[in-house]
Amino acid sequence: MDAPLLAIYILIFPGFLFLAAFAFFLEFLDRKITARMQHRVGPPFVQPFADYIKTLAKEVIDLKGVDRKALDAAPLLAMAAVMTAFLYVPIIGRSPLAFQGDLAVVLYLLTLPTIILFIIGWLSRNIFATMGGVRAVTQMFIYEVPFFLALITPAIMVGSWSISDIVTWQQHNLWFAVLQPIGFIVALIGLQAKLERTPFDIPEAETEIVAGPWTELTGRRLALMHLALDMAMVTGCALVAAVFLGGPLTPWTITPDWFAGIVGFLLFLVKTLLVLLILSSITVASGRIRIDQLNDMGWKYLASAALIQIGIVLMMNYLWVGA
Amino acid sequence: MPEVHIPIGPQHPALKEPVNFKVVVEGEKIVSLDLDISYTHRGIEKAAEQRDFIRVVPLLARVCGICSHSHTTAFVKGIEEAMKIEVPARAQYIRTIVAEMERMHSHLLWLGVAAHEIGFNTLFMWTWRDREIIQDMLEEMTGNRVVYGINEVGGVRRDLTPALISRSFEHLTKLEDRLAKYVDMVISDETLKMRFCGVGKLTREEALKYGTVGPTARASGVDYDVRRDEPYLAYAEVPWKVVTDTNGDVYGRTLVRIGEMQESLKIVRYCLENLPGGLISVPAPRTAPAAEILSRIEAPRGELVQFIRTNNTDKVERLDIRTPTLANWTSVAVSLVNQNIADIPVIVAAIDPCMSCTSRITVMNRKDTKTCVMTWDELRKHGRNLYQKEWRA
Amino acid sequence: MSFLREMMENLLSKPCTILYPVEKVPIPEAFRGQVRINDEKCIGCSRCSLVCPSVCITMVADAKEIEFKGKKLVRKKRPEVKLFSCVRCGLCAQYCPSDGIVMENVLSCSGTDCEVVVK
Repeated sequence: MDAPLLAIYILIFPGFLFLAAFAFFLEFLDRKITARMQHRVGPPFVQPFADYIKTLAKEVIDLKGVDRKALDAAPLLAMAAVMTAFLYVPIIGRSPLAFQGDLAVVLYLLTLPTIILFIIGWLSRNIFATMGGVRAVTQMFIYEVPFFLALITPAIMVGSWSISDIVTWQQHNLWFAVLQPIGFIVALIGLQAKLERTPFDIPEAETEIVAGPWTELTGRRLALMHLALDMAMVTGCALVAAVFLGGPLTPWTITPDWFAGIVGFLLFLVKTLLVLLILSSITVASGRIRIDQLNDMGWKYLASAALIQIGIVLMMNYLWVGA
Repeated sequence: MPEVHIPIGPQHPALKEPVNFKVVVEGEKIVSLDLDISYTHRGIEKAAEQRDFIRVVPLLARVCGICSHSHTTAFVKGIEEAMKIEVPARAQYIRTIVAEMERMHSHLLWLGVAAHEIGFNTLFMWTWRDREIIQDMLEEMTGNRVVYGINEVGGVRRDLTPALISRSFEHLTKLEDRLAKYVDMVISDETLKMRFCGVGKLTREEALKYGTVGPTARASGVDYDVRRDEPYLAYAEVPWKVVTDTNGDVYGRTLVRIGEMQESLKIVRYCLENLPGGLISVPAPRTAPAAEILSRIEAPRGELVQFIRTNNTDKVERLDIRTPTLANWTSVAVSLVNQNIADIPVIVAAIDPCMSCTSRITVMNRKDTKTCVMTWDELRKHGRNLYQKEWRA
Repeated sequence: MSFLREMMENLLSKPCTILYPVEKVPIPEAFRGQVRINDEKCIGCSRCSLVCPSVCITMVADAKEIEFKGKKLVRKKRPEVKLFSCVRCGLCAQYCPSDGIVMENVLSCSGTDCEVVVK
């Protein structure tokens, strides 16, 4: 792809600007669906954007002895990680930056926001923030293993480490949600835990440790960190939609290239929204569990399910792809 | 692992009203804790000594917003006993109806708050939506959604018209449906059971030793309910059952409160169907003969005790209120040791704390037992001293 | 299961919120709202100001001829209620012998002048 088109792809559509706009849209949809399920009205369409502008304008409050520059830089680091990860997810077709191994890069970059939350909690010199940060890292250790395993099994079946190759493979075969249902469910639960939503919003338990690592974030730091988490939600949903639900490609080729792009983009939207609907329903239907109960559940059920899924895929590869 | 001191309160999102827990934790387990109450002391007992029997009833109604009717009922029951006047049966039935509806709305509020403490906001929104049915019924009957003001010495102030009674029956049917659904949800929801079962366990011996009252004690198997064991108002004539449970943990308390809600609905329906005719109030004398009365009733949170001393004047000489929440705080301090931090809001919410009800006392100086009268400025200086020197340390 | 069904039913139906201020909350007839003084019925007996628990009613001098229970009499005082001290208990209306002070079912909770009185 030549340079000006690549610049537009990265910066405007479907790059950073589109990512920010889509993050606001998905946050609005999430809050609206949650509200309607709870029989309330819910926020209007521009609410997440208005919240962002308002929080940007508020005063930044610093405690005595807190490292100001580090706390200013941390949300930007989280946002940069998530934005880079989004570039490798196929949105209107194969990603132009695809290469072998971009699945591993995306998964790695998506763990950075949680580590940054821990750093923010540590730097904040507040007992609640430190506890929240410790809980965030503990939770990350518990769910990362099943989540990675569940996302790697499609790569094993396809035989390639690139997300765009996985999407192309699903164009001519069945979706992975049908071929590997256990992996799909484990990936969804892992995504819910990664995004720290109920029942896994343990680091940010409002009624237990005030706001966890978010306690001392104010003003533009809070706005940027919140936007980074929203973008992580977009990237996570898009990743699961691409790897398990077929992404933006259709089984039959569509001739004019630009028309294929439009259809692909619409498919991407629909599939991402479907994943969000499932995640929102899980959020509405449950309460928060404790970190030791998550430990039990994660290692006993999630990790074993992911291992069973890998076992099945290796056996299928051996039996059908041939000796 | 080193010990960490965490201040839960006086301001904290888990607490609806101020109370101070100074918790010492190791990792996520609580090692010990210290409890400070009396942040909402308002001097109500002193203010009650300066108002005559007509003007003191609205004051006592504002001790607490959710148990407002219980405080006024206990007081007027005590004063009527001192004055030796007989309240007409219709008034007793109307008082019972409002008391049971207060119990229902208080327990529904509690269910929502307990769900909110575990992050289960959906159940919180739904229970509070259905609480509006009860609030609307109370507004039509008594004129206000909280602080009903329907009691006076000698009877009640408002009557129930037949049109109002038939509308109430429709509301009650809708409410019965919703309560059955909540029973179903609480029994079958997984995350709720995970957070509530086995948490804050209180055995029967511990419950009796630490003086717990109300649904907290009944969930540990203590079969005591003032409505049955020392009947007042119309409870002796209405068929109803005491709900107990043997679990002793927060789940048991949930089941007891939901069972009590269903029993209350049956009591309200029975009273509305069998409302006796007659007067709603008798004129009361202006002064009360000298007497010392201990008036006990079953408020939504447990046994409420009021000690009233009258001395042949038109005011009380001494009023002392022992609220049920004050009796339950010890059990919280005891059952929190060796639990996780994540269980603090759950266990605190499980006794249904009402801080406005709690504080009738403030310990001024632990070493020296003299009492004194302080001016406003002296009181403020004392409070600041106490906070900076004793509590910060 | 009943949980999921309730969630989906709620998603497809109208929310239960009353969209204030476009829709108004229905107030029942018996609601104890703002105090109102009927100047042509008050006989100046001061019972309301004696019975008020928050001592918010003061009697001001105001002579007027009132017809009460078929007889004519001249009242000497009339009440004034400090609205922000009134707790809406309704005792004044209950003890008034002539409907001189009544409770209306009107919401009256906010304002900017804390010394506002109802005459």
